[in-house]
Amino acid sequence: MTADFKFAIRQLLKAPAFTIAAVTVLALGIGVNTAVFSLVNTLFFAPPAYSKPHEMVQLFSQDKKDPKKFRGFSYPTYLDVRDQNTVFSGTMAFNLAFVGIGQKGDTHRAFSAVVTSNYFSVLGVPLARGRAFLPEEETPGRNTPVAIVSYRYWQKHDLDPGMVGSQILINGRSFTIVGIAPEGFVGTMQILSPEVWLPMSVYDQVANDFSSDESKTTLTDRTGTQLRILGRFKPGMTAATAKPALEGLAANLETAYPVEQKDQTFLTAPVARNSVSNNPKAEGGLKAIAPLLLGMAVIVLLVACLNLANMLLARGTARRKEVAIRLALGGSRWRIVRQLLVEGFVLAMLGGIGGLILGLWSSDLLVASMRRLMPLDIVWLSGPSPAILAATFGFCLLGTLMFALGPALKISRSALVFDLKEHAGEDVVRRRWKFLPRNPLVVVQIAFSLALITAAALFIRGAGKAASVDTGIKPGASFVLEVDASLAGYDPKRSQELYRNLSEKLAALPGVEHVSITAIVPFGMFDVSRKVERAGIHPAPDAKPSTAAEGLAFDTPWTSVGADYFSTVGLPVIRGRAFTEAEATQPGPKVAIIDEILAKKLWPEGDALGQRIQYAASNAPSASGNDAHAGGSADLNETGKNQETIEIVGIVPATRHALFEKDLAGSIYLPFARGFQSDVSFFVRFHSLDSKNEVATANLLRRTVQEVDPALPILALRTFAQHLDSNLDLWLVRAGAALFSIFGVLALGLAVVGLYGVKAYSVARRTREIGIRMALGAQAGAVLRMIMREGSIMLIAGVSMGLLLAVATGKILSGILYGVSALDPVAFTVAPLLLTAAALIATWLPARRATRVNPVQALRSE
Amino acid sequence: MIRLRNLERSYPLAKGKFFYVLRDIDIEIAEGEFVSVMGPSGAGKSTLLHILGMHDHGWTGEYFFNETAVHHLKAKERATLRNENIGFVFQQYHLLDDLTVYENLEIPLSYRKVSKNERSAIVADVLDRFQIVAKKDLFPRQLSGGQQQLVGVARAIIANPKLILADEPTGNLHSSQGEEIMRLFQKLNAEGTTIIQVTHSEKNAGYGNRVIQLRDGWVVEAKSQPTN
Repeated sequence: MTADFKFAIRQLLKAPAFTIAAVTVLALGIGVNTAVFSLVNTLFFAPPAYSKPHEMVQLFSQDKKDPKKFRGFSYPTYLDVRDQNTVFSGTMAFNLAFVGIGQKGDTHRAFSAVVTSNYFSVLGVPLARGRAFLPEEETPGRNTPVAIVSYRYWQKHDLDPGMVGSQILINGRSFTIVGIAPEGFVGTMQILSPEVWLPMSVYDQVANDFSSDESKTTLTDRTGTQLRILGRFKPGMTAATAKPALEGLAANLETAYPVEQKDQTFLTAPVARNSVSNNPKAEGGLKAIAPLLLGMAVIVLLVACLNLANMLLARGTARRKEVAIRLALGGSRWRIVRQLLVEGFVLAMLGGIGGLILGLWSSDLLVASMRRLMPLDIVWLSGPSPAILAATFGFCLLGTLMFALGPALKISRSALVFDLKEHAGEDVVRRRWKFLPRNPLVVVQIAFSLALITAAALFIRGAGKAASVDTGIKPGASFVLEVDASLAGYDPKRSQELYRNLSEKLAALPGVEHVSITAIVPFGMFDVSRKVERAGIHPAPDAKPSTAAEGLAFDTPWTSVGADYFSTVGLPVIRGRAFTEAEATQPGPKVAIIDEILAKKLWPEGDALGQRIQYAASNAPSASGNDAHAGGSADLNETGKNQETIEIVGIVPATRHALFEKDLAGSIYLPFARGFQSDVSFFVRFHSLDSKNEVATANLLRRTVQEVDPALPILALRTFAQHLDSNLDLWLVRAGAALFSIFGVLALGLAVVGLYGVKAYSVARRTREIGIRMALGAQAGAVLRMIMREGSIMLIAGVSMGLLLAVATGKILSGILYGVSALDPVAFTVAPLLLTAAALIATWLPARRATRVNPVQALRSE
Repeated sequence: MIRLRNLERSYPLAKGKFFYVLRDIDIEIAEGEFVSVMGPSGAGKSTLLHILGMHDHGWTGEYFFNETAVHHLKAKERATLRNENIGFVFQQYHLLDDLTVYENLEIPLSYRKVSKNERSAIVADVLDRFQIVAKKDLFPRQLSGGQQQLVGVARAIIANPKLILADEPTGNLHSSQGEEIMRLFQKLNAEGTTIIQVTHSEKNAGYGNRVIQLRDGWVVEAKSQPTN
């Protein structure tokens, strides 16, 4: 075997051009697979950074009457579960919150986990430094300002040895750092890591308030649904064996708390790896992308291997004589196959090394682009992990079998006598059926390439459509300024005063046309929905209303806005009126403006203007509206306890809230004073804004905020166009387009190079034949046509097969395409044309060379 | 039919020097002749044949073909002239391996833009004339050397050329097969086709009526002889 390796290396060194081309092709094919695998592995398969992950589960609270409905847990319920369950050896609870970290004027938004004191011990994670939280630091109301920081936070502070015991400013308040999480620990998710962990006792101070004040609950309130519970099964316990005990526990709690725990049962599911949700099926869609990405990457590897198989077959033709001599000397066929496989394996390993470097570099690049977008700590351990190394080695082995086995078997099946004769090495193909393509591997390559190029075209079309999506609002030359006074430690009253003051100062700036505050910016990081129904209708508890008149509620995207909002964002009030300044700044009579969609839903036959609506209870029967939202939807702790009704004073046109909102869900707008939220955005609309003075304008806005309050953290400051550009959904669509474009371009490149290589090699090997043809009267045009015709047959066969594959690929991708059909005619026209044009050029170059064959030279070469 | 005046063929060497393959060739060949070009290896026989066949363009001097000044023609015009007048027979047969006997015979006609129906008729006629109808669907490697060369000759005459150029047509055949081919050439010559063959064999040269001897690129002897 050692001799085989030595000979293989000698053979590859003897043909450096072939070796470089083959290694490059393999590096591209394996690189894509390594990149996709490292991403998919980290997100879906790599073991989480906590101990014995197979024992950990998340507990879910499910509505027995409507099993699709899940909710979180209150802190008292968590205590009951922790103390009364018989299935877990440890139970902990947590929730996530955005907090402001840093000094005044230099605050940045960060991701925090608010956890029970046993969080780290249940996960089995020892801290790198310091200690975990103490039980008394968990007690609600004690408000103990201690924190555990992430390893990355420590790294950002140069691994300061005095970090434990030092102070960190969170939401304007000083916290003592008592511990540092270990390196690589990211909490319960895979790459999204909290920057700090805070004890449960500060929950009420740091929890993000996405609901209006009237529906807010505190941690000790048993109606709350703020927490997620994770448990570690006792040894030998499984989800199935734990089920009866957990259902029994839920039944006991329902008996003890018939209102709060009404219809609730408990079930477990594996801990979600990429999200924190009350729904055990929240990651289903995301998981579906993994096989898709891997599938596409494997196709690229397949195309690369087909390419290489062709190169090896062509090389094998030239080596027929060598193989024949080996056979004549008594070498067995298996011995020859082994030699050829070893050569393939050496090539694959060289390609694998290149692919590994390329793959790790490109996955780092992808994560870096994601980091720019999210205010989250993305912990991405770059560098080759054992899993990635093993996978790359696997790709090398798979590649070797794919590209080397077939040619090795074919070449070793030589016709001994013929191959020892003089013409051994010529590209002679004895075919009876000339309409069949000369090289079926190239045909398959073209087919797969076309499927990938079409997929790329579909994604690019989708990205194009997504970029020009009609949001429904026309904010013109506007800046969006996001601030959060709570991150500076201000209470709602002071925050409101601050916002009013800031709004006035912004409106007074030169060139400003309108200014308005809003709780939610369309296409932002968050959206909030609330269930609304017609006022005064009280369906029976078990009733199933099917219309608004019968009490059907509608889950509707919600925001609270300033008086000038509709003028600022260019949304005309088509009926009724906008909010008054008094309504927007001072809590007064309850009024709302709704859009045409919600108006039509609530009063399909009549006029919604002047009518009254109310918030529905969270468990009220509703028409589904949630599914339309791809953005992070916050929990609402709406229990329907406040039955004060709201008058509809205006109707506005419908707007879009998120990119993937298939059917517009409607909108409800409240005056800001009635829907206070600490995290707010100001639309600052200018008469005009050119790109040259964007930076100066941004600086002016920044200075204005600092003049109003230097402690107020600016979370985002950008034009509305830039705000749309940074939308996560749009990023996903664009990342998809970029990723599939890379797949497509690689596949196109490989197919074209493959076709060119095969034709160029064929022309070189057919010099004698071409010479004979010319001697017999063939002119340059006839030779050109012959080579082009052969290439075209391969192309037609490949494109025909590829179109079928592309249709299948389109159907598979249809679920994640934006705004284009799986059979989009533009994509299905452009992709084949592009491939055809490139392939014709790839065929024309060797064909042109064929016309320059000198018959005298060609015939003399005998 | 052919008149060569001061024809020379050379290849450049280093330092501005040239290597002459043919020197100062003056030959005239009349229509209906059967000429054998002889000489040792490297004498320039095959080069002369390729120049006569208008494959080689890198020569100087004058070449008249049926009073057409070939030396004044462009490459495309030479190709047309060749296709209309000349057929080739090679020592290695040079049949196209992935084409059947029928298809090999059809090729020169297709390059001369002969219609499909006409091609079928001509090929059928030639298959019949050469008594190889039974072999028409076989591939070259399924034929013996003599049979392959028979097809090679059939292919050379199929477009009804006035001149056949044959480069050692019996070089790869055993004697009885060689004789068969030479008799065929004789028959074609008797029917009016001019034949120029390159050969090492005195016996084969005996089938012609004139021998041109080449040595180191020079014509050293050109004599007529009685035919066998």
